[in-house]
Amino acid sequence: MTLSSLNSSKPAHEEISEQSYEPWLFQKMLDELGRSELGVGFIYSVLDLLAARYELTDAVVVLVHESFGTQTFRLGHQSVSSSMAAELGNSPGVFCVPDVVPEVECDAVRTACQLSLSLHFARFSAGHDPLTNIANRRTFDSALQTAAVRSARYGWAFTLVLCDLNNFKAVNDSAGHAFGDQLLRQFGFALRLSVRNGDTAARIGGDEFGVILNNAEGNESAGFTDRLRSHLALSGSLIDFTIGTATSPRDSTDPVELYRIADGRLYEKKGVILR
Amino acid sequence: MMSSTEEDFELELRSLPGVLNVGIKHRDNGDVEGVTLVVFGQDPGAVRVIAMQIVSLYYPDAAVLVENVNNVPLSTGGDVPRITLVRADFNQDDGACEVHLSNNGRVGVGRASSGSLIGGAEATLAALRDLGYDIPFYLVEVVNVATVRGWPVIVTLRSHSNDGDRFGIAQSEGDLVAAAKATLDALNRFLSTLKGLE
Repeated sequence: MTLSSLNSSKPAHEEISEQSYEPWLFQKMLDELGRSELGVGFIYSVLDLLAARYELTDAVVVLVHESFGTQTFRLGHQSVSSSMAAELGNSPGVFCVPDVVPEVECDAVRTACQLSLSLHFARFSAGHDPLTNIANRRTFDSALQTAAVRSARYGWAFTLVLCDLNNFKAVNDSAGHAFGDQLLRQFGFALRLSVRNGDTAARIGGDEFGVILNNAEGNESAGFTDRLRSHLALSGSLIDFTIGTATSPRDSTDPVELYRIADGRLYEKKGVILR
Repeated sequence: MMSSTEEDFELELRSLPGVLNVGIKHRDNGDVEGVTLVVFGQDPGAVRVIAMQIVSLYYPDAAVLVENVNNVPLSTGGDVPRITLVRADFNQDDGACEVHLSNNGRVGVGRASSGSLIGGAEATLAALRDLGYDIPFYLVEVVNVATVRGWPVIVTLRSHSNDGDRFGIAQSEGDLVAAAKATLDALNRFLSTLKGLE
């Protein structure tokens, strides 16, 4: 399907004019804004609402974002064809089949979708480390707090793992910061591959990483470490690391105390390695 | 309704240079079965490598398809310069690099002494100017991206008139060649609008 066919369909709702337009969709969008954490899913929801309201068979919204450039979203998570993408071009707008949606409503949809994409990007950036794309300290602290509360209330076990790269400062100083950044990216990626669904992996300091292994009573950390070493070896990384762990509720259910225990065990091992 | 995981998955894919559109196909049970990326202005092979890395983190079984919009014919209005990378050398001792580009039998040489990565991009811009092209862009960033199969280089150029950034991506043997190719990739559309030099 091309843009020509998107816009050439005969209108089926000619009675809908800008004068008779009621901002039901805009109100619906405001309701959604108040209820949910905005993400790109909101854009698909709005396209679904638009399609249901006007019996559309297809709809595409084109947005231009300062960080992402031109982005197109199509009804039902469909991809756009090459020819359609070329015809849509770089101009923001909403294109519907049939072409029956009042302009004022298309503007409202486009504005809300633009806002949604921007907020999603801002939320993602606020919670993730830009170098490694894993969670940052803020997200990690929040996840640790949540896990500790659940553990204290329901007795659910989890293990906190702190990882520190060995001799990272020396590598950084001798090979340069660009190489050091590469190592951190490589480690972050291996970390993402090594955790299970539902676990949290984060960069919590310069070369310090934290992992929360949910439903893990301590032994699982060995499996995690093996997976991490294996992924690092596969990527050809020469960097090694040391870990310290603390398990809730066995060691404590207080997040600050758990962190202190894991940190102490980490530096105990580091001392052994450095000797 | 999308889960926040799937939303972040799509956001990460859309943040890749050149990705215009992401299509996601679901299985009956809601799992992601396949992903289609529509890519413009970038090497689709390199984008696919990075996309597969991201997909492997979220949905390891999902297939990745890249649809290339670069093939859409552009109106160039004349002879399009064919610029090729002839050679790229890096001197370990002084960190200097030298890039040779060829255009229609002519060779342009560019040098820079900021290491193989940034230097590779700077030397490529210098070589283009040596060929006689007025390149109205300056270098903003050169970065490696970790992938399961290597380290593609992404080059970001900004125009002097501030009308948006150009991104180029390339993966090759060594940072220098990758940085040079990524720089040419970033300028691909701009160069295609120029007429060949006499």
